[in-house]
Amino acid sequence: MPGGFSQRRIRSGTVMDLVVATGLTKRYGGIVALSEAEFSARAGEVHALLGENGAGKSTFIQILSGAARHDGGSILVDGQDFRPANPDAAQARGIAAVFQELSLIPDLSVEQNIWFRREPRTLIGTVDRTALRRKTLELLHKYDFPAIRPDRELRRLTLAERQIVEVAKGLAKEPRVLILDEATSALPAREAEWLLKLTRRLAAEGRLVIFISHRMAEVRAIADRLTIFRNGRTVAAHDAGAVSDGEIVTQMIGRNLDRLYPERLPTATDRVALRVDGLSSGRLSGVGFSLREGEVLGVGGLQGHGQRELFQALFGAAKASGGIELWGKPASISNPRAALTGRDGIALVPEDRRGQGLLLTKSVRENLTLAVIKRFTDKGFLSARKEEALVKEMVNFLRIKTQTPEQLAGTLSGGNQQKVIFGKMLLTEARVLLLFDPTRGVDVGTKGEIFQLMRDLAAKGYAILFHSSDMPELVHVADRVMVMRNGRIAATLEGERISEEGILGAAMLESEAA
Amino acid sequence: MVLAEKAPPHGGTHGSTRDWRGWALDRAPFLVACLMLLVIVGVYGSYQTGVFTLDELNLDTSAAMTLMLAATGQTIVLLRGGIDLSIGGMISLGTVIAATRFTDDPATVLFWSLFVLALGAAIGALNGLLISVLKLQPFLVTLATWSILNGTAMIILPTDGGSVPGWWLGFGYLTLFGLSSPVWMLLALLLFWWWFRWTRLGITIQATGSNEKSAFLSGVSITRVNVLTYGLSGLFAAGAALYLTTQTGAGSPTIGKDYILPSVAAAVIGGVSLFGGRGHLAGTLVGAFILTLIGNLVFVLKISSYWQPVASGVILLLSVLASSLAEKAARGRSA
Repeated sequence: MPGGFSQRRIRSGTVMDLVVATGLTKRYGGIVALSEAEFSARAGEVHALLGENGAGKSTFIQILSGAARHDGGSILVDGQDFRPANPDAAQARGIAAVFQELSLIPDLSVEQNIWFRREPRTLIGTVDRTALRRKTLELLHKYDFPAIRPDRELRRLTLAERQIVEVAKGLAKEPRVLILDEATSALPAREAEWLLKLTRRLAAEGRLVIFISHRMAEVRAIADRLTIFRNGRTVAAHDAGAVSDGEIVTQMIGRNLDRLYPERLPTATDRVALRVDGLSSGRLSGVGFSLREGEVLGVGGLQGHGQRELFQALFGAAKASGGIELWGKPASISNPRAALTGRDGIALVPEDRRGQGLLLTKSVRENLTLAVIKRFTDKGFLSARKEEALVKEMVNFLRIKTQTPEQLAGTLSGGNQQKVIFGKMLLTEARVLLLFDPTRGVDVGTKGEIFQLMRDLAAKGYAILFHSSDMPELVHVADRVMVMRNGRIAATLEGERISEEGILGAAMLESEAA
Repeated sequence: MVLAEKAPPHGGTHGSTRDWRGWALDRAPFLVACLMLLVIVGVYGSYQTGVFTLDELNLDTSAAMTLMLAATGQTIVLLRGGIDLSIGGMISLGTVIAATRFTDDPATVLFWSLFVLALGAAIGALNGLLISVLKLQPFLVTLATWSILNGTAMIILPTDGGSVPGWWLGFGYLTLFGLSSPVWMLLALLLFWWWFRWTRLGITIQATGSNEKSAFLSGVSITRVNVLTYGLSGLFAAGAALYLTTQTGAGSPTIGKDYILPSVAAAVIGGVSLFGGRGHLAGTLVGAFILTLIGNLVFVLKISSYWQPVASGVILLLSVLASSLAEKAARGRSA
């Protein structure tokens, strides 16, 4: 992490806390999302809120930002009772949230989104577009935002760009309390670093930033204090300097996590599962490599250098030229259907699980079996028994926390949703797996399970291509790491050479010179 | 920012260079609709003399204005991501009330006109309230209110009939600077839209149609948006009913249904998305002209009038195809 955060300051307890929640309780039907949670944070600090998915963090910030109302307990802001009826009321008290599930409007422009419902207006009540542009540029300039065209329609932006617009929208409200809910998870390394610096700056301006992230290094770099939630309760609050990573993780998951990363046994054989030769597609130009049976091959580099295109081309979701061989046989993958077929096929865990991988309004069972419905058909009829048995097996194998297989996928926590996607992929029986950032937005406990699962699958002879935006994951899980730069493979690191420095070096060397 | 400058360039252009292809792709359905209108007018003009005159413009606009008014309300609803079938019932009821209540005394005309407009807005607001509070599908709610309004119109006036004052019938022939009153109404609609789409209400309606959850998280009251959206639609439907009586001079308890699907079709031909969030009234008005002129065309070509719905359907398909192709092309560019 960057070392430029030496201006960290922790105020003494004499300052009255800005946000104080006591005994906070929230139920959704029979489920208790928050149970007498406590939270206290001061102006001028970065306060990290930690916990596994489902620990109650999201519920807490929804209440704080006015999107939900608490059933019990109280919140004081500036010593006065705080119970916002809606997001507007929370804003009026100076609280703004940058949501993980973005609050942006696809069909409005960047500047319209930033000032949505707070646009400067002319005498006849229409939006003053000159003033709108001016205010937008002022804001982007003031906080040193990455370049973004104010007039571009939001739906034409990348996920990372949208996240940046969401941050701008939060800041435009000039809030005293800014909530950043996993705002860095969609950002490439350099933008994430910018946001961390910005967070420090906002705290230095006297604001309170409530910061939620699953990346421990980020929390370490910027948080003054932290509060840990587990199962809807507050288990601890610390000064950031007074507690170790191990203690934090233990408190988050309620048990000792021996280690996040599993043991890396050499399971790769000499058999080539996937050979790619001269693959070109959009930004990709002439990519070639082989992935062996039992191997986890990492794909790293700065974001936007062809990693996404590589995965899409291999899965048949983008047009590509070049040769692809699966298990020694030439394969023609023209669309995702062609990619899926059987034991010699390819399966993908996509980047945007809500948009591409999962049907939120369908049950866990339906999601698992959607891609492989043929396997449960008996002379054209669905065999419920066959389906049920396989679904049960998969739910147990992956330890998906669901009440029944009929529970709607949308009601599961993020980590469990990701497990369902893994199950869906495994049920295809494909033995070449493409994992694109499979731990994005997943809590630390589930992360560990996913890494273990990956190594287990490799030991069973699966071949895994693995991209992660979190570099330590590549370093600790992959057998080899390919570093991409400008649509090509800049380096392939093995053994001792796999390190964060090695990956960054290979990723940046040429682009620095260019 | 260092990063953004060094990042590989995206499909779109940066800086101040105008991106004409992107501009055209974003407006492809509207441009295609304009092209179709030009072709239709061209063919019409080559079979009929006097097409390219103010008289013809006045005539065609007065024929299209009922649909235009109804489609204006429908456009607002579609922009919200909904649909309003009840305008059919409202139009029928409006004509029936006007034809049975209007007398030669202008005061009755004024009173009952305002009554019809207020009723339209109130029924629309009720639609919006039912959709929000009961969390029902707009299709079902407005289907039900359509039926209720239609039945009410039947009860008031079981068959076509009633009457309006003679001067009311002459409304469409009033001219100013050579332009008839319907043409002035058309200009007023465009002016209204130019204003409305840049008001906070207009933007909020569009935003809610674009992504309801995001709008809610941004503090939008979905109930308020629905009430206002469907209220406006009801208001415009009532306006369409009153205008229609200046054309027919009578009330009809069944006439409204002729405007339900055409109002949607006009909007879609003009590039308004059925999924909400995208579209402009200018497109809808072009669509309404196209649908009206197809009738004229079928007449001058001396073919069976049954070809009119066939032609409307083909045009609808063409415009849907055009917008889907354009969206694909635009996506390919920004990917």
